[in-house]
Amino acid sequence: MTKPYEGPLATQFIGTPSEIYDESGDFWVVDFPRSITHHHTYGLLTPFFKGLTEGKLMATKCTNPECTENSTWLPPRADCPDCYARTEWVEAPTVGKIYAYTMLDYAGIGIEMETPYWQVDVQLEGVDTIFKGWLKQGKPVTGMPVRAEFRTNNPTHTILDVCWVPIED
Amino acid sequence: MIKFGKGNLRVPQWSRRVFMVAGGCTPFRKYFPEYKLEELVMMGYKMMLEDNDLKMSPKEIKDSIQYCAYGEFADHFQDQLLCEAKIHDYLGLDPLWNNGIKTGGATGGAAVLNGAMAVASGYADTVLVCGWERMDEVDTRTGNFYISTAACKDFETRMGRIYSSYYAPMANRFAEAYNLSEVTRAKVAVKNRGYAMSNPNAQQPGHHTVDEVLASRMSAYPLRFLECCAMTAGSASVLLCNEEMAYKLSDHPVELFMAGGTHTLRVADRRHMEIPLLPNEPEGMYDELLADSGRWPGFESFLAARFAAYLAYRMAGVHEPLEELDLVELHDAFTISDIQTYGDIGLRPYGQEPDYIESGDAYFGGKCPSNLSGGLLGTMHAVGATGIWQAAEVLWQIQGKYDKFHGEDKWWQRAGKQKPADWKSLQVPDAKQGLWISHAGVGSHVTCGILRKAW
Repeated sequence: MTKPYEGPLATQFIGTPSEIYDESGDFWVVDFPRSITHHHTYGLLTPFFKGLTEGKLMATKCTNPECTENSTWLPPRADCPDCYARTEWVEAPTVGKIYAYTMLDYAGIGIEMETPYWQVDVQLEGVDTIFKGWLKQGKPVTGMPVRAEFRTNNPTHTILDVCWVPIED
Repeated sequence: MIKFGKGNLRVPQWSRRVFMVAGGCTPFRKYFPEYKLEELVMMGYKMMLEDNDLKMSPKEIKDSIQYCAYGEFADHFQDQLLCEAKIHDYLGLDPLWNNGIKTGGATGGAAVLNGAMAVASGYADTVLVCGWERMDEVDTRTGNFYISTAACKDFETRMGRIYSSYYAPMANRFAEAYNLSEVTRAKVAVKNRGYAMSNPNAQQPGHHTVDEVLASRMSAYPLRFLECCAMTAGSASVLLCNEEMAYKLSDHPVELFMAGGTHTLRVADRRHMEIPLLPNEPEGMYDELLADSGRWPGFESFLAARFAAYLAYRMAGVHEPLEELDLVELHDAFTISDIQTYGDIGLRPYGQEPDYIESGDAYFGGKCPSNLSGGLLGTMHAVGATGIWQAAEVLWQIQGKYDKFHGEDKWWQRAGKQKPADWKSLQVPDAKQGLWISHAGVGSHVTCGILRKAW
């Protein structure tokens, strides 16, 4: 049987002709449309994202007795940047205070929330970092107490599964 | 509390002095369909070769180049991996070695630093530093999403998908901590966009008022559209040399001192640490400020910028920045990032940044004017080119060539514009020393370059 590479071939274009987007001058600008999906791993941080679906805020802590910092990280990191030891998982508090905020009006393409909405940075007791998130309702003020709410039903499997709501006093 | 290791604080010592002799750029536009990317790059490169009063022909200079440092922010925008190879080939510079440099918004500065390292080490005597960005292949919201993929994709990007939303919380925090009014922020936009009126290459020049800035559409509260730079297509080049080549090529060479700093991409991960002090800052001067704010750099300041200045001032022997620098070009991608940087590089002590604007020091005719080029707000942010173009603007000021490159009709014609009847020279009289800051993603990478008159 003749293999394809042994014989002459007849070939046809099977793509979609490119549209000319702009020919208002001496030039052509042509379109090159694509739709792309990335398969992205959460690697060793997967417990954090699984934790969100279970209503938990999982941080990591360096417990190496020789580490000078022993920081608690949220977002978590699997390896301590100070001493390079593997960190341990700990549950972070689900109540905190607003450290900074912004209202997002003009978003980039693909935004998954209605705009405008409030983004908030939340300070949590015992956590050395500040945690970025979004406010589900209300209006943020620096220092305002908030509690975490989790999207345990129909989770997005992304960081958007946790948000914050004001604590009524 | 994070402390640096002693070894981490060593001030760079170059083995050979490094000089900058020439610069070039394209006009900067939102949409530039008349030229392919490599054709735009050639335009800025040829300007560098042909229009800088160099004492060799363009061909002789081309024959003298031994290394190229290329800055490009994002393959996404070019939609072309290994663009450096295409550009290098197009400029006819094979088989000389080149490196592609990518450090976000600081890519241009990082490319200059990389080129300087090549000269300082002796790898090359003559180095082309060239950068570009073509941000016009996608619509603005897609471009904003591309840029926001320079934030952390796991924990940040999906919130907002636009970079202004990573600076905006800093603006709110800064306003509360250091008493910054939105009027002062708006003045930065008015100033820089106004200076862009004198720049033939400017993308967004305009005589705006504070009220107009504050009335413009909100991007991410409190940052308005007129407080944010735009996306640009364009390119810039500078030529770096060792001492011998610099004086062979130019009667007006300028010496370069430069260093960089970095910090975690995620602002929220920035743990409290000691403030590295600039040469003119005494021990303990920030004790009170730290007692109030509780953390540094917090959301108010940039460790990367402070660290870059900490090193660069010591390399160059600069003690009092405000007195010893005749001008600065800062990375005003957003009004707030510009203002935050005043403290980082010692134009004011931390906590007093707004006074640099309010005192008039930052204006043409002031003690140390900033962004006379029009900056990123008024003139351009073709990201990979930005830190290179800023360097060229400082170089030209020191060489006394502001008018030549901004006032001559040929540049206005090249840009397809009419020179305004009220065109104003922004040449700083007898400028001897200037600084430029190239800054990436909420302060993840920052370079600090100092250029000094050397004739």
